[in-house]
Amino acid sequence: MALRAKPTTALMPYRAGSAAFLSSTSSNSATPVGTQQSPGLVAGNPGTPPPMKVARREVPLPSQEGKKGAMQYALTTLDQIANWARQSSLWPMTFGLACCAVEMMHLSTPRYDQDRLGIIFRASPRQSDVMIVAGTLTNKMAPALRMVYDQMPDPRWVISMGSCANGGGYYHYSYSVTRGCDRIVPVDIYVPGCPPTSEALMYGIFQLQKKMRHTKITRMWYRK
Amino acid sequence: MSTLLRTLRNLRRVGLKDFGHQMQHIGDTKAGTFIGLDKYGNKYFENLAEELPLRTRWVDYKDHEFDPSQIEPGWHAWMSYSVDLPPTQDKLLQRQIRVWEPTEHRPTLTWGSAAYRPYSTTKPKYAAWKPVAKPRQAATTKQ
Repeated sequence: MALRAKPTTALMPYRAGSAAFLSSTSSNSATPVGTQQSPGLVAGNPGTPPPMKVARREVPLPSQEGKKGAMQYALTTLDQIANWARQSSLWPMTFGLACCAVEMMHLSTPRYDQDRLGIIFRASPRQSDVMIVAGTLTNKMAPALRMVYDQMPDPRWVISMGSCANGGGYYHYSYSVTRGCDRIVPVDIYVPGCPPTSEALMYGIFQLQKKMRHTKITRMWYRK
Repeated sequence: MSTLLRTLRNLRRVGLKDFGHQMQHIGDTKAGTFIGLDKYGNKYFENLAEELPLRTRWVDYKDHEFDPSQIEPGWHAWMSYSVDLPPTQDKLLQRQIRVWEPTEHRPTLTWGSAAYRPYSTTKPKYAAWKPVAKPRQAATTKQ
């Protein structure tokens, strides 16, 4: 018997390749029986994560890259103007779905005062730049979310606000909840929390503004 | 909320150089007493007498690309009015750093070169199927 001949394989979890003792014929597995992997390694996984202590590789930030030539100076200035315009009038499409929407509303109240950042909530996706998905995205709502996202004009950004929109959150194992709105739309900023405070959402907006500041619009066009 | 008279008054107090700096960073002109400098180089100011509530303490960031997470935890408590005294004067905030604590404060590294990149250590739920066909054996056995 194969079980007695190689007792080490009996200790391993049953796999299709090592089920040789069930039949009396020879194994038909794709991999040879002799080259069994160690139990920790599963075929096809992306491998062990990189070690934590690796040599630091300094990559300059987009703001730290130098400028060479008159063309780059001109294009960088153009980019700065466009990015300044983008980041200082951020019109969000409100996609308030649950309790996170209450915190999103607090952002527009005088204490946090989103108007000073140029943020005005719009009711129409055709007039908005950024969509704040605030709350639990259900499977029933997901096609509507995608439709609203498709109706937004370019350039557009998405902020996923709260645990439910990030990855399902509390309702992750529910039968009717989409496990994260990044399954439906591409997300730029994830704001953690259940619900996140208004400060947290505002900090997420600052991060989005930081992303906008470093977008190379005309420079990428020139590179092409 | 700034009036022209207030801006001119603060301009006379802080000087022309700081005025330009503040207009670049804060967008307002504020005059107050210098409270302290943290390890990163941010400067903290306070003016309890003249400023409006919740605007009496402010920070002058070291970087132009500033981020609220560059404020260290003790100074963050002071900025958010959790404590009365700044960490330079508060004995409770000058505690020892325990061994498991990070020795230096790290700001949010999002959009930087040191940003967190997720990776998976689990087996993927699906994989491409590579069909393996056994070569046809010659008919050696007799029926």
